[in-house]
Amino acid sequence: MTFLLMSVFLGIILFEVPKLIRNKHWRELIVFSSLLSMAFILSLLQILDVKVPSPFEGINFLIRDVLHLNYK
Amino acid sequence: MKLEKGEISSSQLMFLVGGFIQGSLLTLAFAKDATKHDLWLALIAALMMSLPLALVYITLALKFPGQNLFQINDAVFGPYLGKLVSFQYIMLFLMIVSSNLWFAGDFFLTFFFPETPIIVIMIMFAFICAWGVRAGIEVIARMSIILVLFTILIALTTFILLLNEMKFSNFLPIFDIPIHDFIQGTNIMMAIPFNEVIIFMMVIPYANKMKQVKTSVLYGLMIGGITSLIVVIRNTAVLGPLADIVVSPSMEAVRLIDLGEIIERLEALVGIGLILSMFLKVSVFYYATVLGMAQLLKLRSYVPLVIPVGIIGITLALTNESSIQFTYTAMNTYPIFSLSFYIVLPLISLLIVKIRKLPK
Repeated sequence: MTFLLMSVFLGIILFEVPKLIRNKHWRELIVFSSLLSMAFILSLLQILDVKVPSPFEGINFLIRDVLHLNYK
Repeated sequence: MKLEKGEISSSQLMFLVGGFIQGSLLTLAFAKDATKHDLWLALIAALMMSLPLALVYITLALKFPGQNLFQINDAVFGPYLGKLVSFQYIMLFLMIVSSNLWFAGDFFLTFFFPETPIIVIMIMFAFICAWGVRAGIEVIARMSIILVLFTILIALTTFILLLNEMKFSNFLPIFDIPIHDFIQGTNIMMAIPFNEVIIFMMVIPYANKMKQVKTSVLYGLMIGGITSLIVVIRNTAVLGPLADIVVSPSMEAVRLIDLGEIIERLEALVGIGLILSMFLKVSVFYYATVLGMAQLLKLRSYVPLVIPVGIIGITLALTNESSIQFTYTAMNTYPIFSLSFYIVLPLISLLIVKIRKLPK
């Protein structure tokens, strides 16, 4: 499963990076690689069944437990 | 340096707004739990209250011609605070993308492919959206006309075919619910489809005729609102009290169509219509997220960011455990949370623009 994920990400890199290097878009390359590594870590955590807290839990916590503004 | 080279005409903008509102037909279910059979009243109230807010967004966009939401934030709040506000908007948009991917996956899982893992549906859906976003806003806007007309056609056809099943006494008694629930329903309605038109501050700069922007956006809102109203009235009139219980009232209502045992099981059409208009909505949000990121980081092109952002959106959608938790958030906390983005910040921006007499 991890191997499959890595091959998918390798495919994405092969699809995007050559064009960026040819056009000398270094800033785009940095942003692309940092976002892609973030995506890789998040999806690896999904595959390894690590529980990532949902962003909606953050909203619930802020509105319900801190501000007490929720409807129910 | 311009990130987007496409241009859209005013009729395309109108249909894009209309299709964008129609993309929330699936999520009308959140408000129905609060308002019961008075959902149509909440819908009308939300539509009426969102028109002045849409005017606020359009006024802001027209004060800074050719600049989108994030550039306006920079101009209004200054470079540093503006970046922070823009960052929050990007996070909100990314979250909306991921939640809509979840809605699409969950919907198809419930009604069409019960055995398929949700991630497969999400990946296919996100792939199509990413393709559209890479092609640019012009392509998405050109598609919108067909999709909107198709959705309207489905809504009208099913309405007419179900006329003999309808009991208009299902709407009585009007205003049977406590006012607290009605306010909640209106707030949900405003937060989930109607106020999201703030996203069009990212699209309006690429319209070719600035003078017609106001009428196009308002007409688009009316198109979307009236389609939603037709759907809501159909569901409540056909199903009655059952509409408050079932997962997707549209599907259950259309399932009842039976013309001489020949025309039956038209709910697949409803599914197609929902997924098509949802594609439009997710694409616009996806586009705004990616464009905003590129703007914030001063990139020359937004295209390389499309795939990573899509994968992040899918993984965020997968962190949700169940649709029950999701419904709780969408009904009780998210409407309040979104008020600051959809009402407070734009009004503060407009106030600052008036006081500082921007743009200089």
